[in-house]
Amino acid sequence: MSAQHLKTASGASRSLARSRPRYGEVLVKAVLMLAALVSVATTVGIVFALLEPTIEFFGEVSLGEFFGSTTWGPLFNPPAFGVWPIIVATLEITLIAIVVAVPLGLAAAIYLSEYATPRVRKIFKPVLEVLAGVPTVVFGFFALTFVTPLLRDVFPFLELEAKNGLGAGLLVGVMIIPIVASLSEDSMAAVPNGLREGSYALGASKMLTSVRVVVPAAFSGIVAAIILAISRAAGETMIVAIAGGFKSVFTLYPGDEMSTMAAFIAQAGSGDASVGSIAYKTIFAVGSLLFIMTFAMNYVSARMVQKYREVYD
Amino acid sequence: MNDPRTPIPASGIAQIGVSVPNVSVRGPEVPRTIEALDPVFTVSGLSVFYGDYEAVRGVDMTIGNREITAMIGPSGCGKSTVLRCFNRMNDLIPGARAAGKILYHNEDLYGDHVDPIEVRRRIGMVFQKPNPFPKSIYDNIAYGPRVNGVKGKMDDIVEEALTKAALWDEVKDKIKQNALSLSGGQQQRLCIARAIAVKPDVILMDEPCSALDPIATTKIEDLMQELSRDYTIVIVTHNMQQAARVSDRTAFFTAEVDAEGVRHGRLVEFDETSRIFTNPSDKRTEDYITGRFG
Repeated sequence: MSAQHLKTASGASRSLARSRPRYGEVLVKAVLMLAALVSVATTVGIVFALLEPTIEFFGEVSLGEFFGSTTWGPLFNPPAFGVWPIIVATLEITLIAIVVAVPLGLAAAIYLSEYATPRVRKIFKPVLEVLAGVPTVVFGFFALTFVTPLLRDVFPFLELEAKNGLGAGLLVGVMIIPIVASLSEDSMAAVPNGLREGSYALGASKMLTSVRVVVPAAFSGIVAAIILAISRAAGETMIVAIAGGFKSVFTLYPGDEMSTMAAFIAQAGSGDASVGSIAYKTIFAVGSLLFIMTFAMNYVSARMVQKYREVYD
Repeated sequence: MNDPRTPIPASGIAQIGVSVPNVSVRGPEVPRTIEALDPVFTVSGLSVFYGDYEAVRGVDMTIGNREITAMIGPSGCGKSTVLRCFNRMNDLIPGARAAGKILYHNEDLYGDHVDPIEVRRRIGMVFQKPNPFPKSIYDNIAYGPRVNGVKGKMDDIVEEALTKAALWDEVKDKIKQNALSLSGGQQQRLCIARAIAVKPDVILMDEPCSALDPIATTKIEDLMQELSRDYTIVIVTHNMQQAARVSDRTAFFTAEVDAEGVRHGRLVEFDETSRIFTNPSDKRTEDYITGRFG
């Protein structure tokens, strides 16, 4: 067949060049990139907004006083800037929350992914995710007006204060259960069914299959879920402000009233700290510290996930 | 009569392909089946349902002790479904149930007292796609014995299983490496070793070579021959030559549409492999093995 013949057969010679410009494609790409840039730009913006007042803060308060003292009271007269009480309170409440959320969240995830029938899963998972949508102020008042009084009645020997770290921590834990459960369930559901079949075919029970095959195979996703939950717990403000209180005395006992870093920021920010005052700059210094802590946690966990990842395909 | 333990050489198949069309055989209404002398499984009137759908209808066959039994047939004929009844793997599929009877050493496999987990400890399975756990080679083998609470020196169990699966020499220096670093063929032999490690009585293989290249396939086939000295093996395969090469008995399944227009998997013929491939008694078997359909 000659080229001549081919030409006549197709009617006319058609070039392979683009027949008309596709402006839409360029536009779509630009819009999508802009959307991706928003979150990056926000992060960068936060860092810059935090940076200047933080540097000014450390011009007035030495790093030695900030990290070397355990007396916190930037809003008092005379002010004190030993940050440890609010760091410790933040860590304590985060720890309580994790102790609550990881076992419950993981158990819920294993149930949903391995045991529940598709119908139960279809009902349960959205309900669980509704829990994530409950405003944290509701959890805060629930902790203050229900959980803490209940704990005081049932365990009087704990000598809980009206506002305390334990009640706040428990409810922060409840708040982050859906994060742990939902994300872990997603990663368990992504484990290929062939692995489960392989395990069952060796005479393993459902429980052993879940714990020894599915959970390890989904490990990286589970760790990511827990890390996200920790970050949320560490930064949680409303519950701890309402149920944990604002007293920032150095204490390791969760039954005491305690102020976390986020609670301090809320307290100082809603007060009448004038722009440029030392109290105002303290907010930014504490904010920077919280930001660094969360960022470090995310970084470490990302590395950990890389290292312990079980790739199965 | 041929010794059923002697596999037909591959060259025999080519001749069969020529000779069979000349033979005119009319299939009997009832499938021709033979009884294994020393049956491990005796299947009678087995039907398998997925919900209301009867995927396989009325299977009768026996699986002989330390024999290799092949199940062949076109896609959707229910051969894998039947295979997965032997270790009650179908129990894991919601809505699946079996009717009829499977006796395993004269014990009703679907009896009320039977624990499927106990069944699967005796009757191992190797799957179509190699499915090693994302753990080390060692932990893959040790998994079965561990979950079954086996006491004893795990190192020896692992070495023995890998040796039996003809994999030990290839992996002995990297036993702690992730099993997924192995090639596909090695992974499948690892899965066989993993099944052997729990010391089963029967090994079920569901198209074990369909994801492998010809060299790896040959290795697995050689291994099956080797293993049939100690184990009863049932293999589902799409590959007729494979069935002819490795098996002692062959069951031919096909899908048939009944009066109401519903497709069911049926056992057409079950016989010594040599007979299925040289002188099948059913026209449908003959058509299938000569490549006229399927």
